[in-house]
Amino acid sequence: MRRIGGPLRFASFSNQAGVWLWRDWTKDNIPVKKSLSDLAVFGGTPSFTEIRSAASLSPPDAEAFFDYAKRSFDSRRLTNNGPLVQLLERRLAELHQARFCVAFCGGSWGLVLAMSCLATRGGGEIVMPSLTYRHLADIAAWAGLTPRFCEVSRETLASSVADVEDCMNERTAFILVAHPSVHLADIGGLTALATRRHVPLLFDSVEAAYASYHGSTIGSFGNAECFSMHASQLLNGFEAGYLTTNDETLASRLRKMRGFGFFGQENVEELGLNAKLNEIHAAMALVSLDDIHNRVRRNRERYHAYQEVLGPVSGIRLVPYEEAEKRAFKTILVELTDAWPLRRSQTLEIMHAENMPALPYCSPPLHLRKTGYRTARGALPVTEFISGRYVTLPNGDLLSHSDVEIVGQVLHFLQNHGASIAPRLEGR
Amino acid sequence: MSLGKIKPTDLAILGGPVAFSAPLPVGQLNFPEWQRFEEAMRGIFARRDYTDHGPLAQQFEAKLAEFLHVKHVVCVANATIGLMAAAVALGLRGKVILPAFTFIASAQSLTWAGISPVFCDVDPHTHQMDPAQAALLMNKDISAIMGVHLWGNPCFPDEFRELARDHNVPLYFDAAHAFGCTAGSKPVGNFGELEVFSFHATKILNAAEGGCVCTNDDGLAERLRTIACIDSTERIDIPLAGNGRMSEAQAALGLLSLEDYPKVQQRNRDYHEAYRRVLGGFPGLRIQSPPSGEMSNYQYVVMEISADEFGLDRDTLWSILHAENVISRRYFSPGIHRSYYYRDNYPEFVNSLPVTDRLCESVMQLPSGQDMDLEKISRVCELIWFVHRNAKALKPIARRPIR
Repeated sequence: MRRIGGPLRFASFSNQAGVWLWRDWTKDNIPVKKSLSDLAVFGGTPSFTEIRSAASLSPPDAEAFFDYAKRSFDSRRLTNNGPLVQLLERRLAELHQARFCVAFCGGSWGLVLAMSCLATRGGGEIVMPSLTYRHLADIAAWAGLTPRFCEVSRETLASSVADVEDCMNERTAFILVAHPSVHLADIGGLTALATRRHVPLLFDSVEAAYASYHGSTIGSFGNAECFSMHASQLLNGFEAGYLTTNDETLASRLRKMRGFGFFGQENVEELGLNAKLNEIHAAMALVSLDDIHNRVRRNRERYHAYQEVLGPVSGIRLVPYEEAEKRAFKTILVELTDAWPLRRSQTLEIMHAENMPALPYCSPPLHLRKTGYRTARGALPVTEFISGRYVTLPNGDLLSHSDVEIVGQVLHFLQNHGASIAPRLEGR
Repeated sequence: MSLGKIKPTDLAILGGPVAFSAPLPVGQLNFPEWQRFEEAMRGIFARRDYTDHGPLAQQFEAKLAEFLHVKHVVCVANATIGLMAAAVALGLRGKVILPAFTFIASAQSLTWAGISPVFCDVDPHTHQMDPAQAALLMNKDISAIMGVHLWGNPCFPDEFRELARDHNVPLYFDAAHAFGCTAGSKPVGNFGELEVFSFHATKILNAAEGGCVCTNDDGLAERLRTIACIDSTERIDIPLAGNGRMSEAQAALGLLSLEDYPKVQQRNRDYHEAYRRVLGGFPGLRIQSPPSGEMSNYQYVVMEISADEFGLDRDTLWSILHAENVISRRYFSPGIHRSYYYRDNYPEFVNSLPVTDRLCESVMQLPSGQDMDLEKISRVCELIWFVHRNAKALKPIARRPIR
């Protein structure tokens, strides 16, 4: 993300190390908004010269990529469970301390196949949160299942044991737990519930990649866990995903199903589709995996930078990571509290004009989306509350620490001048 | 170089030396030169656009549209996902007519979309789905006809257009084999409501995995893009979505492959002609050729074997060739109607497709593509001639279990 340089006359507090300090922004050559007309939404110069999509991350180590990709060319294998995919699966299984890993062309299709394997009982309903990835219910529909949306808690943003159990009935085929951003779901409690109710438990762990739960790495809980390697995720495999499991039968079935159900060249043994990961995407994922610890370190540093710059901004609550456990610090999630002077939509509009790709969190929730398939749910007030107030802020390797400071400065300006900004926005 | 086999026991299956030191695959496997690939990938890394309908995916779509003379090209992760998205975009329900003599993904795309297949028998000469048979299968539950341009040859597009129009149902095509082919001099990609191509590494156009959906219908193109998560603006309502995005890496490979298409097509044509010229003269062998006057990619060398005339059945010849490292393929054996899931869930078709059953036992593909050359093809032909001449002595092999 490019930054526009320029003189700075702005000051604020910082809470680095828990100590409140006066900070002089003028020392850092950070562009500053001095009047409302400096905001890009009112015709001012945007804080950043260009907006980069969430997928536009830092380039990989090109030479390492070509080392892997050359193996693909030398072996004349570009797909169909090639050696790079197999290497990637071994290394991911190791990372997650799971017995098996099965890679796919996308995490969605891995989930579709896993769901169709696990839905052997009940009446085709799956209990899942509404406050989650916007296509998660579609994934259930591809597997021929009916999503029953359950509530989440204010504290964790995830479905609690009680939330899930409230939605279980004789039609429940299995439980799909989707870890939210920043926090983890109650893995222990939900595992106990699934065991007690004799239903399979599947985790959508896309947001929990790299994390640990009570010291154990995510990836070996429930019947299986699903991860994404879309370019915007912690591991960048262009488009890719994978499932980890300790269930050998499930892993074996998924390997067949991702390749049309073939076992060998001619024998079809499962109802499958094409969800194969190709070798070039696997090469990219391997390079990304080689760098994962550095990437997490950089994420943590940016998270701490956000802690520092958002500390003085009242009305914005940075959702804190549990730093005693392993975390990827991939998402910077904030709540706009009652003290924030602007509506969320106004805030997002202003930030987008500044070329800051801030996004509403899980909005609209799945139960409020129009679909061509049947869904089931009760009232979900907490889900609707959270989906209306939370925002993910810009993050990723393209964001320098001074970029983070610019984001903080703009938010600080909005907080100070919100009362004047809101009517001007509405009066356009 | 001579084959060096004089007597039947010189065959590898009977303990003789293997004719080819490395396996000869059926697939195209058209890799670009490494330097071109490296340059394209460095461009991606410099732009930092990896997916989400990036500049190369857009460029690939534009070039494909120009090449195919079609209004819209929607690039997708692979052809199966393209067919699944197509079923949703067309709003299909109930049942769809398609052949069972095709790759299993054609039927699987329907199953995942909640649609039942109605398998139709094929024409014995062209191997294409038979419009007359399809007409007998039409009823009120049929929501569409899925034609398949098998081996890249046209699947009676005019006859199926009339049939679909008469019954007021959409017609679409699985054109996985047919990139660069024509029907009535019109490029495949322009028939029916939409057509789906494959860019799997074994196809003439190689994006590692990949494919595209072509249509001349603006609304359908928009629905496809939304359903496949290529357009995330949510401007239109769709019943459901599933990630079908093509990455920039796939698009880079596809663009390089498209640049190479003319010379690869000519190479395939030369290889096809070399096989046809020799094997076409052997008793009991017939090489499928494109209809006169049509363009073809010649990516498949399809051989039909009459066991009575050749002296051995297809499976025995296949086993002998495999032992010599000639990795011929028995596409499609069994037919979809006798494959897992479909034979159990749709038993009414198991014994209803006699032509398909016969072809499933008599058709095979011979190696072609970038790993072949004319000298290897000559030796493969020589090997097949050797097998034919010694067919009587090799009969006992036919009684062995096939691998």
